[in-house]
Amino acid sequence: MDPDAVAKAFVDHYYSTFDANRAGLGNLYQEGSMLTFEGQKIQGSQSIVAKLASLPFQQCKHNITTVDCQPSGAGGVLVFVSGTLQLAGEQHALKFSQMFHLMPTPQGSFYVLNDIFRLNYA
Amino acid sequence: MDPDAVAKAFVEHYYTTFDSNRAGLANLYQDGSMLTFEGQKIQGAQSIVAKLTSLPFQQCQHSITTVDCQPSGAGGMLVFVSGTLQLTGEQHALKFSQMFHLMPTQQGSFYVLNDIFRLNYA
Repeated sequence: MDPDAVAKAFVDHYYSTFDANRAGLGNLYQEGSMLTFEGQKIQGSQSIVAKLASLPFQQCKHNITTVDCQPSGAGGVLVFVSGTLQLAGEQHALKFSQMFHLMPTPQGSFYVLNDIFRLNYA
Repeated sequence: MDPDAVAKAFVEHYYTTFDSNRAGLANLYQDGSMLTFEGQKIQGAQSIVAKLTSLPFQQCQHSITTVDCQPSGAGGMLVFVSGTLQLTGEQHALKFSQMFHLMPTQQGSFYVLNDIFRLNYA
């Protein structure tokens, strides 16, 4: 497993899916997955997708500035992302940082065990 | 183990040590520890501390804005920090985000297995 390749593929897939169809993120999380979104803690794929699908905007576009990754031990990959988030109709893009802890699935793919998102205010 | 309490204690200790005596960070890392600092990958306590002590400033002050944490599995803890960094003599503080993956030691403490640091440019 090449962590850099896994991280890049994951980031491309995650944000494309987020920007096109947030409900489609469901299969990237499992029952034990945890999301902390701007300080709010949510657990489990169903609740996580409910939270993301209910965010108060119709459309957004992520632009990724940096992606860093490291193996986390036990076959996992830590991915640390920074970038901007443009909401449709808003004049200025928001800056954000996000970290993911990806764990391997038996099918040879990865799912998100840990997800922490923060806006970076000016 | 209360993850929030561990995270809070770690963050206070880490940045206090960083701001007063960067060489003192050595016992927070081990041989397998990894640091990615502004995209540069460094491994092992010795090399990590050499990098941090060689950063081109005498003194700095971290101010922490947000701390989020989640258990990472296998007894580890993920800590996601954002804040500002004031270098002595510089007019404006820098914004940064940093994530740590803490693993338990046999003595009942924690060490840093993974560390990723990024400045958040305006």
